[in-house]
Amino acid sequence: MNQTIAKKEILPRQSKVALFYFALILAALIWFTPVITLVLTALKDAGDFARNGAFSFPKSIRWANFSEAWETGVKNYFWNSVIVTGFKVPIGIVLESMAAFALTHMHFKWADRVFTYILIGLIVPMQMTLVPLTLLMNALNLIDTLTGLTILYIGFGVPFGVLVMRGFFRTVPVAIIEAARLDGCSWFRIFYRIALPLALPAIVSLCILDGVATWNEFILAQIFLRSDELRTLPLGLVQFSTQFATQYNQLAAAVLIAVVPIMLVFLFFQRYFVAGMGGAVK
Amino acid sequence: MADLQQSATAESLPSQKAKTREPSDDHLRRLPWAFLAPALVIYSVVVVYPMVYSAYLSLFRWDGISPSKVFVGLDNYGILLTQNDVFWIALRNNAIWLVAALLLPTSIGLGLAMLLNSKFRGSHIFRSIFYFPAVLSLAVVGLIWTWIYHPDLGLLNQMLGVFGLKALQRNWLSDPQIALYPVIIAATWNAVGLPMLLYLAGLQTIPEELHEAAKVEGAGPIQRFLYVTFPLLRETTLVVLAITAINALKAYDIIYAMTNGGPANRTQLLSTWMYFLTYNYNQVGLGTAIAVILFSLTLIFAIPYIRFMTRKT
Repeated sequence: MNQTIAKKEILPRQSKVALFYFALILAALIWFTPVITLVLTALKDAGDFARNGAFSFPKSIRWANFSEAWETGVKNYFWNSVIVTGFKVPIGIVLESMAAFALTHMHFKWADRVFTYILIGLIVPMQMTLVPLTLLMNALNLIDTLTGLTILYIGFGVPFGVLVMRGFFRTVPVAIIEAARLDGCSWFRIFYRIALPLALPAIVSLCILDGVATWNEFILAQIFLRSDELRTLPLGLVQFSTQFATQYNQLAAAVLIAVVPIMLVFLFFQRYFVAGMGGAVK
Repeated sequence: MADLQQSATAESLPSQKAKTREPSDDHLRRLPWAFLAPALVIYSVVVVYPMVYSAYLSLFRWDGISPSKVFVGLDNYGILLTQNDVFWIALRNNAIWLVAALLLPTSIGLGLAMLLNSKFRGSHIFRSIFYFPAVLSLAVVGLIWTWIYHPDLGLLNQMLGVFGLKALQRNWLSDPQIALYPVIIAATWNAVGLPMLLYLAGLQTIPEELHEAAKVEGAGPIQRFLYVTFPLLRETTLVVLAITAINALKAYDIIYAMTNGGPANRTQLLSTWMYFLTYNYNQVGLGTAIAVILFSLTLIFAIPYIRFMTRKT
Protein backbone atom coordinates (compact mmCIF):
# COMPACT_ATOMS: atom_id res chain seq x y z
CA MET A 1 0.00 0.00 0.00
CA ASN A 2 2.73 2.42 1.00
CA GLN A 3 4.59 1.74 -2.18
CA THR A 4 1.67 2.60 -4.44
CA ILE A 5 1.10 5.84 -2.59
CA ALA A 6 4.77 6.71 -2.94
CA LYS A 7 4.66 6.02 -6.66
CA LYS A 8 1.67 8.27 -7.09
CA GLU A 9 3.52 11.12 -5.48
CA ILE A 10 6.56 10.81 -7.72
CA LEU A 11 4.39 11.30 -10.79
CA PRO A 12 1.68 13.89 -10.21
CA ARG A 13 -1.72 13.07 -11.68
CA GLN A 14 -1.62 15.65 -14.44
CA SER A 15 1.64 14.52 -15.96
CA LYS A 16 0.49 10.93 -15.71
CA VAL A 17 -2.55 11.81 -17.79
CA ALA A 18 -0.37 13.67 -20.27
CA LEU A 19 1.97 10.70 -20.55
CA PHE A 20 -0.98 8.37 -21.09
CA TYR A 21 -2.33 10.50 -23.92
CA PHE A 22 1.10 10.95 -25.45
CA ALA A 23 1.70 7.18 -25.56
CA LEU A 24 -1.79 6.49 -26.89
CA ILE A 25 -1.60 9.14 -29.62
CA LEU A 26 1.83 7.88 -30.67
CA ALA A 27 0.53 4.31 -30.89
CA ALA A 28 -2.54 5.47 -32.83
CA LEU A 29 -0.35 7.39 -35.28
CA ILE A 30 1.88 4.39 -35.91
CA TRP A 31 -1.20 2.19 -36.27
CA PHE A 32 -2.70 4.58 -38.80
CA THR A 33 0.51 5.12 -40.81
CA PRO A 34 -0.57 2.81 -43.66
CA VAL A 35 -3.80 4.78 -44.10
CA ILE A 36 -2.00 8.12 -43.92
CA THR A 37 0.54 6.90 -46.48
CA LEU A 38 -2.30 5.84 -48.73
CA VAL A 39 -3.96 9.26 -48.59
CA LEU A 40 -0.68 11.13 -49.12
CA THR A 41 0.23 8.95 -52.10
CA ALA A 42 -3.18 9.42 -53.69
CA LEU A 43 -2.71 13.20 -53.64
CA LYS A 44 0.75 13.30 -55.26
CA ASP A 45 1.89 13.48 -58.83
CA ALA A 46 4.03 10.64 -60.14
CA GLY A 47 7.28 12.62 -60.11
CA ASP A 48 6.82 13.72 -56.51
CA PHE A 49 6.25 10.12 -55.47
CA ALA A 50 9.31 8.86 -57.35
CA ARG A 51 11.54 11.52 -55.77
CA ASN A 52 10.24 11.63 -52.22
CA GLY A 53 8.63 8.26 -51.66
CA ALA A 54 5.36 7.52 -49.98
CA PHE A 55 5.62 9.27 -46.62
CA SER A 56 6.06 12.96 -47.32
CA PHE A 57 3.59 15.76 -47.82
CA PRO A 58 2.63 16.27 -51.46
CA LYS A 59 4.36 19.26 -53.07
CA SER A 60 1.11 20.08 -54.79
CA ILE A 61 -2.20 18.29 -54.50
CA ARG A 62 -3.21 16.44 -57.62
CA TRP A 63 -6.93 15.63 -57.58
CA ALA A 64 -6.72 14.37 -61.16
CA ASN A 65 -5.43 11.03 -59.79
CA PHE A 66 -8.97 10.27 -58.70
CA SER A 67 -10.68 11.16 -61.97
CA GLU A 68 -8.04 9.27 -63.95
CA ALA A 69 -8.36 6.17 -61.80
CA TRP A 70 -12.15 6.44 -62.02
CA GLU A 71 -12.09 6.63 -65.81
CA THR A 72 -9.47 3.86 -66.24
CA GLY A 73 -11.88 1.26 -64.89
CA VAL A 74 -12.59 1.94 -61.24
CA LYS A 75 -15.95 3.38 -62.28
CA ASN A 76 -17.06 -0.06 -63.54
CA TYR A 77 -15.66 -1.90 -60.53
CA PHE A 78 -17.40 0.53 -58.19
CA TRP A 79 -20.84 0.17 -59.77
CA ASN A 80 -20.49 -3.61 -59.99
CA SER A 81 -19.78 -3.69 -56.27
CA VAL A 82 -22.76 -1.42 -55.63
CA ILE A 83 -25.07 -3.67 -57.67
CA VAL A 84 -23.91 -6.92 -56.06
CA THR A 85 -24.03 -5.50 -52.52
CA GLY A 86 -27.36 -3.77 -53.21
CA PHE A 87 -29.08 -7.01 -54.19
CA LYS A 88 -27.27 -9.41 -51.90
CA VAL A 89 -27.84 -7.64 -48.58
CA PRO A 90 -31.63 -7.07 -48.61
CA ILE A 91 -32.48 -10.45 -50.16
CA GLY A 92 -30.13 -12.18 -47.75
CA ILE A 93 -31.63 -10.47 -44.73
CA VAL A 94 -35.19 -11.47 -45.64
CA LEU A 95 -34.21 -15.13 -46.02
CA GLU A 96 -32.01 -15.12 -42.93
CA SER A 97 -34.53 -13.48 -40.61
CA MET A 98 -37.34 -15.80 -41.75
CA ALA A 99 -35.11 -18.77 -40.99
CA ALA A 100 -33.98 -17.34 -37.67
CA PHE A 101 -37.59 -16.65 -36.67
CA ALA A 102 -38.56 -20.25 -37.37
CA LEU A 103 -35.61 -21.43 -35.29
CA THR A 104 -36.50 -19.33 -32.26
CA HIS A 105 -40.25 -18.80 -31.90
CA MET A 106 -42.17 -21.41 -33.87
CA HIS A 107 -41.87 -24.35 -31.45
CA PHE A 108 -39.82 -26.14 -34.05
CA LYS A 109 -38.69 -29.57 -32.93
CA TRP A 110 -35.66 -29.66 -35.23
CA ALA A 111 -34.45 -26.15 -34.39
CA ASP A 112 -31.17 -27.17 -32.74
CA ARG A 113 -30.21 -29.64 -35.41
CA VAL A 114 -31.01 -27.26 -38.26
CA PHE A 115 -29.07 -24.47 -36.53
CA THR A 116 -26.00 -26.68 -36.16
CA TYR A 117 -26.31 -27.65 -39.82
CA ILE A 118 -26.36 -23.97 -40.76
CA LEU A 119 -23.41 -23.13 -38.51
CA ILE A 120 -21.16 -25.50 -40.46
CA GLY A 121 -21.13 -22.86 -43.18
CA LEU A 122 -19.31 -20.43 -40.89
CA ILE A 123 -16.21 -22.55 -40.81
CA VAL A 124 -16.02 -23.95 -44.33
CA PRO A 125 -12.96 -22.72 -46.21
CA MET A 126 -14.12 -21.38 -49.57
CA GLN A 127 -11.67 -23.76 -51.28
CA MET A 128 -13.82 -26.68 -50.19
CA THR A 129 -16.64 -25.51 -52.49
CA LEU A 130 -14.88 -24.01 -55.50
CA VAL A 131 -14.65 -26.92 -57.92
CA PRO A 132 -18.25 -28.16 -57.61
CA LEU A 133 -19.47 -24.55 -57.72
CA THR A 134 -17.53 -24.01 -60.93
CA LEU A 135 -19.21 -27.06 -62.46
CA LEU A 136 -22.63 -25.95 -61.20
CA MET A 137 -22.29 -22.36 -62.38
CA ASN A 138 -21.05 -23.60 -65.74
CA ALA A 139 -24.05 -25.86 -66.13
CA LEU A 140 -26.40 -22.99 -65.25
CA ASN A 141 -24.60 -20.52 -67.53
CA LEU A 142 -23.96 -18.27 -64.57
CA ILE A 143 -20.18 -18.00 -64.86
CA ASP A 144 -19.09 -14.42 -65.44
CA THR A 145 -22.41 -12.88 -64.43
CA LEU A 146 -23.18 -10.61 -61.51
CA THR A 147 -26.42 -12.57 -60.98
CA GLY A 148 -24.47 -15.78 -60.42
CA LEU A 149 -22.08 -14.09 -58.02
CA THR A 150 -24.96 -12.54 -56.07
CA ILE A 151 -26.63 -15.95 -55.68
CA LEU A 152 -23.39 -17.40 -54.30
CA TYR A 153 -23.05 -14.48 -51.88
CA ILE A 154 -26.60 -15.03 -50.62
CA GLY A 155 -25.86 -18.71 -50.00
CA PHE A 156 -22.60 -18.05 -48.18
CA GLY A 157 -24.21 -15.26 -46.15
CA VAL A 158 -26.88 -17.51 -44.61
CA PRO A 159 -24.87 -18.84 -41.63
CA PHE A 160 -23.70 -15.48 -40.29
CA GLY A 161 -27.06 -13.82 -40.95
CA VAL A 162 -29.02 -16.56 -39.20
CA LEU A 163 -26.57 -16.44 -36.30
CA VAL A 164 -27.01 -12.69 -35.79
CA MET A 165 -30.80 -12.66 -36.27
CA ARG A 166 -31.30 -15.71 -34.06
CA GLY A 167 -29.22 -14.04 -31.36
CA PHE A 168 -31.61 -11.12 -31.53
CA PHE A 169 -34.91 -13.00 -31.82
CA ARG A 170 -33.99 -14.93 -28.70
CA THR A 171 -34.23 -11.69 -26.75
CA VAL A 172 -37.79 -11.02 -27.98
CA PRO A 173 -40.08 -12.09 -25.12
CA VAL A 174 -42.11 -15.20 -25.83
CA ALA A 175 -45.09 -13.51 -24.14
CA ILE A 176 -45.47 -11.00 -27.00
CA ILE A 177 -45.52 -13.74 -29.61
CA GLU A 178 -47.90 -15.92 -27.59
CA ALA A 179 -50.28 -13.01 -27.01
CA ALA A 180 -50.45 -12.41 -30.75
CA ARG A 181 -51.05 -16.13 -31.30
CA LEU A 182 -53.97 -16.10 -28.90
CA ASP A 183 -55.42 -13.14 -30.75
CA GLY A 184 -55.50 -15.36 -33.82
CA CYS A 185 -52.60 -13.73 -35.63
CA SER A 186 -51.04 -15.94 -38.30
CA TRP A 187 -47.35 -16.81 -38.00
CA PHE A 188 -46.57 -14.88 -41.11
CA ARG A 189 -48.28 -11.74 -39.76
CA ILE A 190 -46.47 -12.15 -36.44
CA PHE A 191 -43.22 -12.37 -38.34
CA TYR A 192 -43.57 -9.24 -40.42
CA ARG A 193 -45.79 -7.11 -38.16
CA ILE A 194 -44.22 -7.90 -34.77
CA ALA A 195 -40.87 -9.70 -34.97
CA LEU A 196 -39.32 -7.75 -37.87
CA PRO A 197 -40.13 -4.26 -36.53
CA LEU A 198 -38.76 -5.27 -33.13
CA ALA A 199 -35.62 -6.58 -34.82
CA LEU A 200 -34.86 -3.30 -36.59
CA PRO A 201 -31.62 -2.60 -34.66
CA ALA A 202 -30.37 -6.10 -35.43
CA ILE A 203 -31.33 -5.68 -39.07
CA VAL A 204 -29.38 -2.44 -39.32
CA SER A 205 -26.35 -4.12 -37.72
CA LEU A 206 -26.56 -7.05 -40.07
CA CYS A 207 -27.01 -4.75 -43.09
CA ILE A 208 -23.78 -3.00 -42.23
CA LEU A 209 -21.67 -6.03 -41.34
CA ASP A 210 -23.00 -7.92 -44.34
CA GLY A 211 -22.64 -4.93 -46.64
CA VAL A 212 -19.00 -4.49 -45.67
CA ALA A 213 -18.28 -8.21 -46.05
CA THR A 214 -19.91 -8.32 -49.49
CA TRP A 215 -18.14 -5.15 -50.62
CA ASN A 216 -14.81 -6.73 -49.60
CA GLU A 217 -15.28 -10.28 -50.89
CA PHE A 218 -12.48 -11.49 -53.12
CA ILE A 219 -12.11 -15.19 -53.84
CA LEU A 220 -15.57 -15.96 -55.26
CA ALA A 221 -15.39 -12.86 -57.43
CA GLN A 222 -11.95 -13.93 -58.61
CA ILE A 223 -13.09 -17.41 -59.61
CA PHE A 224 -16.48 -16.59 -61.08
CA LEU A 225 -16.00 -13.25 -62.82
CA ARG A 226 -13.85 -13.47 -65.92
CA SER A 227 -14.33 -10.30 -67.94
CA ASP A 228 -12.79 -7.02 -66.85
CA GLU A 229 -15.97 -4.94 -67.08
CA LEU A 230 -17.75 -7.18 -64.56
CA ARG A 231 -15.08 -7.14 -61.86
CA THR A 232 -15.98 -5.95 -58.38
CA LEU A 233 -13.72 -3.53 -56.51
CA PRO A 234 -11.29 -5.76 -54.57
CA LEU A 235 -10.70 -7.92 -57.62
CA GLY A 236 -10.48 -4.95 -59.96
CA LEU A 237 -7.98 -3.19 -57.70
CA VAL A 238 -5.63 -6.16 -57.57
CA GLN A 239 -5.88 -6.37 -61.36
CA PHE A 240 -5.31 -2.63 -61.61
CA SER A 241 -2.20 -3.00 -59.46
CA THR A 242 -0.62 -5.49 -61.85
CA GLN A 243 -1.51 -3.43 -64.90
CA PHE A 244 -0.43 -0.06 -63.53
CA ALA A 245 2.34 -1.39 -61.32
CA THR A 246 4.37 1.80 -61.47
CA GLN A 247 1.64 4.41 -61.19
CA TYR A 248 1.35 4.26 -57.44
CA ASN A 249 -0.42 7.57 -57.11
CA GLN A 250 -3.27 6.44 -59.39
CA LEU A 251 -3.44 3.07 -57.72
CA ALA A 252 -3.60 4.74 -54.31
CA ALA A 253 -6.42 6.95 -55.57
CA ALA A 254 -8.24 3.86 -56.83
CA VAL A 255 -7.84 2.12 -53.47
CA LEU A 256 -9.07 5.22 -51.68
CA ILE A 257 -12.19 5.30 -53.85
CA ALA A 258 -12.88 1.74 -52.71
CA VAL A 259 -12.18 2.52 -49.07
CA VAL A 260 -14.11 5.78 -48.67
CA PRO A 261 -17.64 4.24 -48.73
CA ILE A 262 -16.54 1.74 -46.09
CA MET A 263 -14.97 4.53 -44.07
CA LEU A 264 -18.20 6.57 -44.16
CA VAL A 265 -20.36 3.61 -43.19
CA PHE A 266 -17.96 2.89 -40.37
CA LEU A 267 -17.98 6.48 -39.10
CA PHE A 268 -21.75 6.83 -39.11
CA PHE A 269 -22.81 3.37 -37.98
CA GLN A 270 -19.97 2.42 -35.69
CA ARG A 271 -22.05 1.30 -32.74
CA TYR A 272 -23.87 -1.19 -34.95
CA PHE A 273 -20.61 -3.05 -35.57
CA VAL A 274 -20.36 -3.63 -31.85
CA ALA A 275 -24.03 -4.56 -31.51
CA GLY A 276 -23.91 -6.93 -34.48
CA MET A 277 -20.79 -8.76 -33.38
CA GLY A 278 -22.17 -8.96 -29.86
CA GLY A 279 -25.33 -10.57 -31.24
CA ALA A 280 -23.23 -13.11 -33.09
CA VAL A 281 -21.50 -14.27 -29.94
CA LYS A 282 -24.45 -14.29 -27.59
CA MET B 1 -56.81 -33.82 -47.80
CA ALA B 2 -54.39 -35.20 -45.28
CA ASP B 3 -54.45 -31.77 -43.68
CA LEU B 4 -58.20 -31.82 -43.23
CA GLN B 5 -58.23 -35.28 -41.74
CA GLN B 6 -55.47 -34.42 -39.34
CA SER B 7 -57.20 -31.29 -38.16
CA ALA B 8 -60.46 -33.17 -37.76
CA THR B 9 -58.88 -35.71 -35.46
CA ALA B 10 -57.04 -32.98 -33.63
CA GLU B 11 -60.23 -31.07 -32.93
CA SER B 12 -62.13 -34.12 -31.83
CA LEU B 13 -59.51 -34.66 -29.14
CA PRO B 14 -60.44 -32.78 -26.03
CA SER B 15 -56.85 -31.77 -25.32
CA GLN B 16 -55.73 -28.25 -24.48
CA LYS B 17 -53.34 -28.23 -27.38
CA ALA B 18 -56.12 -28.32 -29.91
CA LYS B 19 -57.66 -25.16 -28.50
CA THR B 20 -54.74 -22.84 -29.24
CA ARG B 21 -53.59 -24.33 -32.52
CA GLU B 22 -56.40 -23.64 -34.91
CA PRO B 23 -55.62 -24.61 -38.50
CA SER B 24 -54.08 -28.06 -37.94
CA ASP B 25 -51.15 -29.62 -36.18
CA ASP B 26 -49.82 -30.98 -39.41
CA HIS B 27 -49.88 -27.59 -41.04
CA LEU B 28 -48.15 -26.12 -38.03
CA ARG B 29 -45.48 -28.74 -38.13
CA ARG B 30 -44.73 -27.86 -41.72
CA LEU B 31 -44.88 -24.11 -41.36
CA PRO B 32 -41.40 -23.68 -39.81
CA TRP B 33 -39.98 -25.55 -42.79
CA ALA B 34 -41.70 -23.06 -45.09
CA PHE B 35 -39.99 -20.20 -43.23
CA LEU B 36 -36.67 -22.03 -43.40
CA ALA B 37 -36.93 -23.29 -46.96
CA PRO B 38 -35.54 -20.34 -48.96
CA ALA B 39 -32.45 -19.97 -46.76
CA LEU B 40 -31.90 -23.71 -46.39
CA VAL B 41 -32.27 -24.47 -50.09
CA ILE B 42 -29.83 -21.83 -51.30
CA TYR B 43 -27.39 -22.60 -48.47
CA SER B 44 -27.50 -26.33 -49.16
CA VAL B 45 -26.99 -25.88 -52.90
CA VAL B 46 -24.23 -23.27 -52.63
CA VAL B 47 -22.33 -24.47 -49.56
CA VAL B 48 -23.17 -27.96 -48.33
CA TYR B 49 -23.59 -29.90 -51.54
CA PRO B 50 -20.31 -28.52 -53.01
CA MET B 51 -18.49 -29.48 -49.80
CA VAL B 52 -19.61 -33.06 -50.02
CA TYR B 53 -18.93 -33.22 -53.73
CA SER B 54 -15.41 -31.82 -53.23
CA ALA B 55 -14.62 -34.62 -50.79
CA TYR B 56 -15.87 -37.09 -53.39
CA LEU B 57 -13.81 -35.52 -56.19
CA SER B 58 -10.66 -35.77 -54.08
CA LEU B 59 -10.77 -39.54 -54.70
CA PHE B 60 -10.34 -39.13 -58.46
CA ARG B 61 -7.63 -38.14 -60.88
CA TRP B 62 -9.22 -35.54 -63.11
CA ASP B 63 -8.19 -32.50 -65.12
CA GLY B 64 -11.55 -30.80 -64.71
CA ILE B 65 -12.31 -30.88 -68.43
CA SER B 66 -12.30 -34.42 -69.81
CA PRO B 67 -15.54 -36.37 -69.35
CA SER B 68 -13.89 -39.33 -67.62
CA LYS B 69 -12.56 -39.29 -64.09
CA VAL B 70 -10.23 -42.03 -62.86
CA PHE B 71 -10.95 -43.37 -59.39
CA VAL B 72 -7.68 -43.50 -57.47
CA GLY B 73 -8.82 -43.91 -53.85
CA LEU B 74 -6.63 -41.97 -51.45
CA ASP B 75 -3.78 -41.64 -53.96
CA ASN B 76 -4.18 -37.85 -54.22
CA TYR B 77 -3.51 -37.54 -50.50
CA GLY B 78 -0.52 -39.85 -50.85
CA ILE B 79 0.87 -37.79 -53.72
CA LEU B 80 0.52 -34.59 -51.72
CA LEU B 81 2.20 -36.04 -48.65
CA THR B 82 5.08 -37.76 -50.42
CA GLN B 83 5.75 -36.06 -53.75
CA ASN B 84 4.51 -32.50 -53.52
CA ASP B 85 7.15 -30.28 -51.92
CA VAL B 86 5.08 -27.14 -52.16
CA PHE B 87 2.34 -28.84 -50.14
CA TRP B 88 4.77 -29.13 -47.23
CA ILE B 89 5.91 -25.52 -47.63
CA ALA B 90 2.26 -24.47 -47.59
CA LEU B 91 1.47 -26.61 -44.57
CA ARG B 92 4.44 -25.19 -42.68
CA ASN B 93 3.42 -21.65 -43.65
CA ASN B 94 -0.11 -22.34 -42.44
CA ALA B 95 1.30 -23.54 -39.12
CA ILE B 96 3.46 -20.40 -38.73
CA TRP B 97 0.51 -18.22 -39.73
CA LEU B 98 -1.76 -19.98 -37.24
CA VAL B 99 0.66 -19.60 -34.33
CA ALA B 100 1.15 -15.91 -35.16
CA ALA B 101 -2.61 -15.41 -35.43
CA LEU B 102 -3.26 -17.07 -32.09
CA LEU B 103 -0.62 -14.93 -30.37
CA LEU B 104 -0.49 -11.48 -31.97
CA PRO B 105 -3.99 -10.18 -32.80
CA THR B 106 -5.42 -11.77 -29.68
CA SER B 107 -2.93 -10.28 -27.22
CA ILE B 108 -2.84 -6.89 -28.97
CA GLY B 109 -6.64 -6.90 -29.06
CA LEU B 110 -6.85 -7.73 -25.36
CA GLY B 111 -4.28 -5.06 -24.49
CA LEU B 112 -6.12 -2.39 -26.48
CA ALA B 113 -9.46 -3.43 -25.01
CA MET B 114 -8.09 -3.13 -21.45
CA LEU B 115 -6.64 0.28 -22.30
CA LEU B 116 -9.75 1.61 -24.02
CA ASN B 117 -12.38 0.07 -21.76
CA SER B 118 -12.36 2.93 -19.27
CA LYS B 119 -14.30 6.00 -20.33
CA PHE B 120 -11.86 8.85 -20.82
CA ARG B 121 -12.01 11.82 -23.14
CA GLY B 122 -11.43 10.57 -26.68
CA SER B 123 -11.64 6.86 -25.88
CA HIS B 124 -14.21 6.41 -28.65
CA ILE B 125 -11.95 8.00 -31.25
CA PHE B 126 -9.09 5.70 -30.26
CA ARG B 127 -11.38 2.67 -30.45
CA SER B 128 -12.36 3.66 -33.99
CA ILE B 129 -8.77 4.18 -35.05
CA PHE B 130 -7.61 0.82 -33.78
CA TYR B 131 -10.66 -1.00 -35.11
CA PHE B 132 -10.64 0.64 -38.54
CA PRO B 133 -8.23 -1.73 -40.40
CA ALA B 134 -10.63 -4.56 -39.62
CA VAL B 135 -13.26 -3.17 -42.00
CA LEU B 136 -10.88 -3.05 -44.96
CA SER B 137 -10.80 -5.90 -47.45
CA LEU B 138 -7.70 -8.06 -47.23
CA ALA B 139 -6.99 -7.32 -50.88
CA VAL B 140 -6.84 -3.61 -50.06
CA VAL B 141 -4.77 -4.27 -46.93
CA GLY B 142 -2.38 -6.28 -49.09
CA LEU B 143 -2.04 -3.50 -51.66
CA ILE B 144 -1.40 -0.81 -49.04
CA TRP B 145 1.27 -2.85 -47.28
CA THR B 146 2.91 -3.78 -50.56
CA TRP B 147 3.86 -0.10 -50.90
CA ILE B 148 5.12 0.03 -47.36
CA TYR B 149 7.44 -2.87 -48.15
CA HIS B 150 8.51 -1.47 -51.54
CA PRO B 151 12.32 -1.84 -51.65
CA ASP B 152 13.13 1.72 -52.88
CA LEU B 153 10.11 3.89 -52.24
CA GLY B 154 8.49 2.01 -49.37
CA LEU B 155 8.05 3.58 -45.97
CA LEU B 156 9.73 0.76 -44.06
CA ASN B 157 13.08 0.93 -45.83
CA GLN B 158 12.92 4.75 -45.81
CA MET B 159 12.41 4.77 -42.05
CA LEU B 160 15.22 2.29 -41.50
CA GLY B 161 17.42 4.62 -43.55
CA VAL B 162 16.39 7.66 -41.50
CA PHE B 163 17.24 5.90 -38.25
CA GLY B 164 20.62 4.78 -39.55
CA LEU B 165 19.61 1.14 -39.79
CA LYS B 166 20.43 0.72 -43.49
CA ALA B 167 21.86 -2.72 -42.72
CA LEU B 168 18.35 -3.94 -41.90
CA GLN B 169 16.85 -2.82 -45.20
CA ARG B 170 15.50 -5.70 -47.22
CA ASN B 171 13.62 -6.46 -50.35
CA TRP B 172 10.90 -7.58 -47.97
CA LEU B 173 8.48 -9.38 -50.26
CA SER B 174 10.98 -10.93 -52.67
CA ASP B 175 13.41 -12.40 -50.17
CA PRO B 176 12.44 -16.10 -50.07
CA GLN B 177 13.77 -16.50 -46.52
CA ILE B 178 11.53 -13.89 -44.93
CA ALA B 179 8.73 -12.99 -47.36
CA LEU B 180 6.03 -14.72 -45.30
CA TYR B 181 6.55 -12.59 -42.20
CA PRO B 182 5.83 -9.16 -43.68
CA VAL B 183 2.58 -10.62 -45.02
CA ILE B 184 1.68 -11.93 -41.56
CA ILE B 185 2.33 -8.47 -40.08
CA ALA B 186 -0.02 -6.92 -42.64
CA ALA B 187 -2.66 -9.55 -41.86
CA THR B 188 -2.25 -8.89 -38.14
CA TRP B 189 -2.96 -5.20 -38.71
CA ASN B 190 -6.34 -6.25 -40.12
CA ALA B 191 -7.01 -9.02 -37.59
CA VAL B 192 -6.65 -7.02 -34.35
CA GLY B 193 -10.04 -5.29 -34.57
CA LEU B 194 -12.26 -8.30 -33.98
CA PRO B 195 -10.58 -9.58 -30.78
CA MET B 196 -10.50 -6.00 -29.51
CA LEU B 197 -14.23 -5.63 -30.09
CA LEU B 198 -15.06 -8.98 -28.50
CA TYR B 199 -12.85 -8.27 -25.49
CA LEU B 200 -14.39 -4.82 -25.07
CA ALA B 201 -17.82 -6.48 -25.01
CA GLY B 202 -16.50 -9.08 -22.55
CA LEU B 203 -15.06 -6.45 -20.24
CA GLN B 204 -18.42 -4.67 -20.10
CA THR B 205 -19.92 -7.70 -18.39
CA ILE B 206 -17.44 -7.64 -15.48
CA PRO B 207 -18.97 -5.74 -12.56
CA GLU B 208 -16.94 -2.76 -11.36
CA GLU B 209 -17.41 -3.87 -7.73
CA LEU B 210 -15.17 -6.89 -8.23
CA HIS B 211 -12.26 -4.62 -9.09
CA GLU B 212 -13.03 -2.34 -6.19
CA ALA B 213 -13.14 -5.30 -3.84
CA ALA B 214 -9.81 -6.61 -5.13
CA LYS B 215 -8.31 -3.14 -4.77
CA VAL B 216 -9.46 -2.93 -1.15
CA GLU B 217 -7.87 -6.32 -0.55
CA GLY B 218 -4.59 -4.79 -1.74
CA ALA B 219 -4.33 -6.39 -5.18
CA GLY B 220 -2.15 -4.44 -7.63
CA PRO B 221 -3.10 -3.91 -11.29
CA ILE B 222 -1.23 -7.03 -12.46
CA GLN B 223 -2.81 -9.22 -9.80
CA ARG B 224 -6.24 -7.79 -10.59
CA PHE B 225 -5.74 -8.67 -14.24
CA LEU B 226 -4.46 -12.20 -13.54
CA TYR B 227 -6.94 -13.17 -10.84
CA VAL B 228 -10.05 -11.12 -11.62
CA THR B 229 -10.24 -9.90 -15.20
CA PHE B 230 -8.64 -12.69 -17.17
CA PRO B 231 -10.50 -15.61 -15.53
CA LEU B 232 -13.79 -13.80 -16.13
CA LEU B 233 -12.87 -13.36 -19.79
CA ARG B 234 -12.43 -17.10 -20.25
CA GLU B 235 -15.48 -17.51 -22.50
CA THR B 236 -14.56 -14.49 -24.60
CA THR B 237 -11.03 -15.84 -24.95
CA LEU B 238 -12.33 -19.18 -26.20
CA VAL B 239 -14.48 -17.48 -28.83
CA VAL B 240 -11.65 -15.14 -29.82
CA LEU B 241 -9.13 -17.97 -30.22
CA ALA B 242 -11.55 -20.10 -32.22
CA ILE B 243 -12.56 -17.29 -34.57
CA THR B 244 -8.98 -16.09 -35.13
CA ALA B 245 -7.82 -19.64 -35.83
CA ILE B 246 -10.65 -20.27 -38.29
CA ASN B 247 -10.00 -16.95 -40.03
CA ALA B 248 -6.25 -17.61 -40.13
CA LEU B 249 -6.81 -20.86 -41.99
CA LYS B 250 -9.05 -19.01 -44.45
CA ALA B 251 -6.31 -16.49 -45.37
CA TYR B 252 -6.07 -16.17 -49.12
CA ASP B 253 -6.73 -12.70 -50.60
CA ILE B 254 -3.81 -11.05 -48.85
CA ILE B 255 -1.31 -13.57 -50.22
CA TYR B 256 -2.79 -13.16 -53.66
CA ALA B 257 -2.50 -9.37 -53.45
CA MET B 258 1.00 -9.25 -51.95
CA THR B 259 3.15 -12.13 -53.18
CA ASN B 260 0.91 -14.40 -55.26
CA GLY B 261 2.57 -17.33 -53.51
CA GLY B 262 6.06 -16.30 -54.57
CA PRO B 263 9.02 -15.96 -54.54
CA ALA B 264 9.48 -19.56 -55.68
CA ASN B 265 6.28 -20.70 -53.92
CA ARG B 266 7.75 -19.72 -50.57
CA THR B 267 4.61 -17.94 -49.39
CA GLN B 268 2.05 -20.48 -50.56
CA LEU B 269 -0.65 -21.42 -48.08
CA LEU B 270 -2.87 -24.46 -48.45
CA SER B 271 -5.62 -22.12 -49.65
CA THR B 272 -3.52 -20.54 -52.40
CA TRP B 273 -1.83 -23.79 -53.40
CA MET B 274 -5.28 -25.32 -53.81
CA TYR B 275 -6.10 -22.53 -56.26
CA PHE B 276 -2.85 -22.98 -58.20
CA LEU B 277 -3.21 -26.75 -58.50
CA THR B 278 -6.86 -26.60 -59.51
CA TYR B 279 -7.05 -23.59 -61.79
CA ASN B 280 -3.51 -23.19 -63.13
CA TYR B 281 -2.35 -26.82 -63.34
CA ASN B 282 -5.75 -28.52 -63.81
CA GLN B 283 -5.05 -31.01 -61.02
CA VAL B 284 -8.59 -31.08 -59.70
CA GLY B 285 -8.04 -34.23 -57.64
CA LEU B 286 -5.02 -32.79 -55.84
CA GLY B 287 -6.74 -29.44 -55.41
CA THR B 288 -9.85 -30.89 -53.78
CA ALA B 289 -7.67 -33.13 -51.60
CA ILE B 290 -5.91 -30.01 -50.27
CA ALA B 291 -9.30 -28.42 -49.64
CA VAL B 292 -10.33 -31.45 -47.60
CA ILE B 293 -7.10 -31.29 -45.58
CA LEU B 294 -7.61 -27.57 -44.97
CA PHE B 295 -11.18 -28.20 -43.85
CA SER B 296 -10.07 -30.96 -41.47
CA LEU B 297 -7.54 -28.59 -39.90
CA THR B 298 -10.28 -25.99 -39.49
CA LEU B 299 -12.50 -28.55 -37.76
CA ILE B 300 -9.97 -28.95 -34.94
CA PHE B 301 -10.76 -25.39 -33.89
CA ALA B 302 -14.31 -25.25 -35.14
CA ILE B 303 -15.83 -28.20 -33.30
CA PRO B 304 -15.28 -26.73 -29.81
CA TYR B 305 -16.52 -23.39 -31.18
CA ILE B 306 -19.73 -24.83 -32.63
CA ARG B 307 -20.30 -26.77 -29.40
CA PHE B 308 -20.01 -23.51 -27.52
CA MET B 309 -22.40 -21.67 -29.84
CA THR B 310 -25.13 -24.33 -29.67
CA ARG B 311 -24.65 -25.18 -26.01
CA LYS B 312 -26.96 -22.55 -24.55
CA THR B 313 -30.08 -23.58 -26.44
